[in-house]
Amino acid sequence: MALLLRTVARQGLYSSRSQFGVLYRHAVPMGTTSNEEMDKFWAKNTRLNRPMSPHMTIYKWSVPMAMSISHRGTGIALSSGISAFALAALVLPESYPYYLDLIHSLTFGPQFLAFSKFALAFPVVYHTYNGIRHLAWDAGKGFKIPEVYRSGYVVLGLTVLTSIGLAAM
Amino acid sequence: MASLIRLSSVWQRGMRPVLLCHTQLSRGSACPRIGDVDYTEPAGRIHTASSSTGISASQHWTGERVMTLVLLGMAPAAYLCPGPVVDYSIAAALTMHGHWGIGQVLTDYVHGEVKIKLAKVGIFLLSTATFFGLCYFNYNDVGLCKAVVMLWQK
Repeated sequence: MALLLRTVARQGLYSSRSQFGVLYRHAVPMGTTSNEEMDKFWAKNTRLNRPMSPHMTIYKWSVPMAMSISHRGTGIALSSGISAFALAALVLPESYPYYLDLIHSLTFGPQFLAFSKFALAFPVVYHTYNGIRHLAWDAGKGFKIPEVYRSGYVVLGLTVLTSIGLAAM
Repeated sequence: MASLIRLSSVWQRGMRPVLLCHTQLSRGSACPRIGDVDYTEPAGRIHTASSSTGISASQHWTGERVMTLVLLGMAPAAYLCPGPVVDYSIAAALTMHGHWGIGQVLTDYVHGEVKIKLAKVGIFLLSTATFFGLCYFNYNDVGLCKAVVMLWQK
């Protein structure tokens, strides 16, 4: 843009009238997308053999960091579980009550049953509450660091209490 | 670009170069634009360029958030009035939410042109099979709401 302005200014100095063709002659491409810019950036880095700055190996663990990774982990686990359940429904010959009785006959007592309920409820509840937290961020609320930590602790507390309540049902 | 077009229109009127006289800059900006339509058309074409696909990324993002809110509403709906409508709605909402979530994970971690295409096809097939499996379970078996109730009663 600066080069373009300088060229047109030079034309203006020589003559008081300027044609619009000057813009076409000196115009630079302005339609590159962000993806193209990113590709050029990484191709340049690869060509110059630039080392990557340390990031994963030097970050100190924090509550928001662990919660973000756990949110993604529980999401992958729940999605995989739902897909496995759906594919099992398509493949297995018997109906749901049959396999439920089969699993129930394998359990070893009420403590194991309560723990199983807690283990099933915890990722669902955590993903749900942290999902609400992420929706608040998507709306642009709660970005200050103290607010991030506070909402993180609220989500963890609510997750534990709700999971215990569901396991006790 | 707009300032450049304005400067060109000023010069077309035969005035002295604006850059040499600072006091005329604001006056040049206020000059009436003669023949401005020809100059603004390329800029308008650049600005109004739309993507080839029908839906833009921001609309897709908003749709994902709406789907998340719908999925949040499914839990009390399943508790208050269980039935086939809620069963199929949960099946659709869970499948779409999981599809977009795993798709985002693949975008973050899968690199390479061919691998990305294969991963996207794979997740599409898996999500389709998941949806069919859940609908099959709703139709031929007890249904998702009753399944959770039976699981929790034992």
